[in-house]
Amino acid sequence: MYATHPLPMMQRSHGHAMARFGMARIERGEAGQRLLDLRQSGCAKAFMPHHRRDPSEVIFLNTAGGLTDQDRLHYELTLGDGVCVTATTQTAERAYASRGLAAEARVTARVGAGGRLDWLPQETILFENSNLHRDTRIDLEPGARCLLVESVVLGRHAMRERLTDARLLDQRLVTCAGRPIWADSVRLGPEGLARMASPALLGDARAFAVIALLGAGAEDALGPLRQVLDEPGTRAAASGWDGKCVARVLAHDGWPLKRQIARILRVLRTAPLPRVWQLQGV
Amino acid sequence: MTAARPFTATMDDALDHLRLTQWLSPAFPIGGFAYSQGLEQAITDGAVSDAASLRDWVLSVLTHGSGRMDAILLAHARAPETDIDALADLARAYAGSAERAQEMADQGRAFGQTIAAMTGVAQPPLPYAVAVGHATRALAIQTPQVLALFLQGLAGQLIAAAVKFVPLGQTTGQQVLADLGPALLAQAETCATEPLCALGSACFGAELAQMQHETLDVRIFRS
Repeated sequence: MYATHPLPMMQRSHGHAMARFGMARIERGEAGQRLLDLRQSGCAKAFMPHHRRDPSEVIFLNTAGGLTDQDRLHYELTLGDGVCVTATTQTAERAYASRGLAAEARVTARVGAGGRLDWLPQETILFENSNLHRDTRIDLEPGARCLLVESVVLGRHAMRERLTDARLLDQRLVTCAGRPIWADSVRLGPEGLARMASPALLGDARAFAVIALLGAGAEDALGPLRQVLDEPGTRAAASGWDGKCVARVLAHDGWPLKRQIARILRVLRTAPLPRVWQLQGV
Repeated sequence: MTAARPFTATMDDALDHLRLTQWLSPAFPIGGFAYSQGLEQAITDGAVSDAASLRDWVLSVLTHGSGRMDAILLAHARAPETDIDALADLARAYAGSAERAQEMADQGRAFGQTIAAMTGVAQPPLPYAVAVGHATRALAIQTPQVLALFLQGLAGQLIAAAVKFVPLGQTTGQQVLADLGPALLAQAETCATEPLCALGSACFGAELAQMQHETLDVRIFRS
């Protein structure tokens, strides 16, 4: 439970950033989607790089640079009826060594009827002795859709780090009209890490991702999606059923994982990837 | 000791044990033999090819994958205060692929229909693990015991698939199942008291195999 090396006492960081979007009349009386509210406190920031030109992309940032024990981070989004927003994070999230107590990250979103949220955070990197509990909860109104990505890299590749003691509880729940429609949770600890080489767990992979498109007709994307699941250095598969299209990817490292995710997202989105993904030319 | 208890109570308990064993036996008509939860894909890929790799796969599924998830859901379904429809929604939401969703629904329906026909008590359509939990509410058996038999049933189903498809000898399969006994009991004990927020998997390879199975050219199993 305790870090191998003594850690200096650090101040716990807290942060909450929220953005609210809705349809509003703009010049000449036309209705369009607009940012209605943006609030941030502590280490959490939310900003819109092209606000005037394109009020549909928001970027979250944890200025603390990572998460360690008892840190609290909350990103929140509210999308009114018919609003479509892509949200991402500025950089990879790092779960640093902790003394055993979990860092808690929350992502909550509400998507109004007919709206769509693309929640496309960059990868999470787990360090040895880290302990992260993340809870992602998206509530859809009837007729709303969402696209989610979550990707995790175990240890720093350049350091050739092999994790033996890290904890991750990473829970995702999407509801529609209050009923759960998709849930996916990763639960990792020292026992699982000791078994990671098992082909039922990760085999020789060190990074994993899940991508899910949820909402009426989502399974129609399955055919085109299966055409792009051949990125070198990865293994990927997809399934579609009951208004869901879900893909999973295993990779040797974060980079091929990201390339495969980018190819998947291009099938599941009409808009280009957020620029912070820095994948021009992939 | 049970000797101090009235004979009828002891007999009721014994009958409950017989019922549970019957409901969770491979002969109970839920079509368990038709499903491999992605193991057929793992065998095709060569990831499971002998007794040792089979034992590793099944143990992983039981301790870090769908076996553990189902055991926790089953334990919650047994609690009388649980909202069974909400739990069923959650179980369906956790299905990782189309074939897994189908498997949970088909086995649950077949299980419920057979119980209803025998007991005369209508059973709601529920995902398999939730259906077993709901039906065993009436049995005077501790949850860890129900979970141990349930997990042994799942392990037996996967092992039977491997015996058929690797192929392995029947005795080898039975030996693998027997070796898993202590791990099954430990898992049953733990899952009996886990909260729903402990649901989660680390079986990324098994989940990927379940999805890949959908596009496997020649398939014996439905999952």
